[in-house]
Amino acid sequence: MNDVIIVGAGPAGLSAGITCAKKGLGVLIIDEYMKPGGRLLGQLYEEPNGSWWNGIQESTSLYEHAVDLGIQFQLNTPVNNIEKLDQSWVIYTDKHTFNTDHLLLATGAAESPVPVPGWTLPGVMSVGAAQVMTNVHRVKPGERGVIIGVNVLSAAIAMELQLAGIDVACLTLPKLNKITKNAAQPKDVLESLLHVSHMAPSPLIRFGSKLMKNDFMKKMGVTFYPKEGVKMWDIPIQLRKAVINIYGDGEVEGITSATIDANGEVVSGSEENIACDFVCIAGGLYPLTELAAVAGCPFYLIDELGGYVPLHNERMETTLDGLYVAGNITGIEGAKVAIAQGVTAGLSIAENAGISGLDVDIQHSIQSIELTRDKAYIQFHPEVKKGKRILKEQWKEYERSVKKLVH
Amino acid sequence: MTEEEMIVCRCEEVSYEELLQTATKYNCSPRELKLRTRAGMGYCGGRTCRGMVDTVASTIKAQERTQISLKYQPPIRPITFGDLGRQDK
Ligand SMILES: Cc1cc2nc3c(=O)[nH]c(=O)nc-3n(C[C@H](O)[C@H](O)[C@H](O)COP(=O)(O)OP(=O)(O)OC[C@H]3O[C@@H](n4cnc5c(N)ncnc54)[C@H](O)[C@@H]3O)c2cc1C
Repeated sequence: MNDVIIVGAGPAGLSAGITCAKKGLGVLIIDEYMKPGGRLLGQLYEEPNGSWWNGIQESTSLYEHAVDLGIQFQLNTPVNNIEKLDQSWVIYTDKHTFNTDHLLLATGAAESPVPVPGWTLPGVMSVGAAQVMTNVHRVKPGERGVIIGVNVLSAAIAMELQLAGIDVACLTLPKLNKITKNAAQPKDVLESLLHVSHMAPSPLIRFGSKLMKNDFMKKMGVTFYPKEGVKMWDIPIQLRKAVINIYGDGEVEGITSATIDANGEVVSGSEENIACDFVCIAGGLYPLTELAAVAGCPFYLIDELGGYVPLHNERMETTLDGLYVAGNITGIEGAKVAIAQGVTAGLSIAENAGISGLDVDIQHSIQSIELTRDKAYIQFHPEVKKGKRILKEQWKEYERSVKKLVH
Repeated sequence: MTEEEMIVCRCEEVSYEELLQTATKYNCSPRELKLRTRAGMGYCGGRTCRGMVDTVASTIKAQERTQISLKYQPPIRPITFGDLGRQDK
């Protein structure tokens, strides 16, 4: 029996483990991937102050710290089920079953695909897969790629691919259909891009964010948006073109792209082929909550947080005794927020495990999450704070309904 | 390839057209859409197409807020029969 078991060795899980171990608890961290670090491993970008955020270095230093503190790791080990038996949590993996009173789920996020005709061809991958191949395994996904889906993540990864000497032909939209919806609407995409304009050295986008404050201006912006796109790090970002097909004989050879109007409809006769040897699909991220769901946590769908999130309080406790959450399972945000949430989860666990005098630390750590969120360089959803408010209301709502049942 | 023929569920090879037509014909909830077409019931356990099946069904009726529309069932990762049936000592 371990004092604490953590599923997920990403930034949230590692920082929670370190926090628990510092308080003297015995910690086991389980992860299905072969390396610790989670999605932090692939991250590489320049911060506004000119320093570089290197995910591999950050992961290594968290991992080494954890090992120094005596934390045990089970890598290459997928958790396929959890359940509560006789007051304690049972964690099922392929070969072994583990038990603990305090279980933290720090399983992070997963990518949503957008379907495009031809997307089942070899050479088509999620944008996150291209990031892992390039930055973690140092393997080029191809020589020349097209990225379908324009959002914060795909823009950041396009830049990373370019740093690795890979030619990114363009970032462009998927064709509008009943599944792609907003992700294929130039106006919606432009709006979401304006929120990340600080990442774009292009004066046009920066200029745009000041100008296009109302809907009319946005529409104008889209109508007059240059057909060949605006360049960000020298990569054309095309909001007036959509990919209608990915072609190739047994593997990707190129894409067919067409001009679209301000509402996302294809202008017929405008089709052209662009040669490439790989295609990335970027449909955004959602919290990976499978284990919280099989455990029986209540959920709420909050678009600002990326999808369904398990109800939890500021101390990272779920409604189920001894079950905690931290990191992107609570909503899509950057790695620094995940690290801060891990600290809070670790302190809550320590307190519930009988270590006293942590109240002030816990309050500070909660404030520190807020501060980190305010300063975040990458924001996946502009309204993330609204999402957190909705969650708080739902938690209160849940508490009220439980009290009613008891009385 | 046309948009209609486009595959949404790779494991069970369910097309965009089949999903749309089924959803409209039977006014499907996400779960009914999954059961009628088998989209999301293949080897990967719906890890790839779950969100898309949800989205197609949401054109009929808005997604439930308080409940995950397509239920997760253990085991949530592929596991061999041997490992599943093994007794831990
Ligand atoms: C493709 C992708 C790219 C991203 N790029 C960026 C970026 O460039 N910048 C940025 O700030 N943020 C990025 N993010 C967001 C990222 O999720 C956060 O930055 C941060 O890594 C979240 O930390 P976490 O600890 O919550 O989860 P993660 O870092 O995702 O770690 C979760 C860990 O849990 C493990 N796990 C999940 N389920 C199981 C299971 N059932 N059994 C065993 N192990 C399991 C996973 O293997 C993983 O190692 C990206 C996310 C994704 C998915």
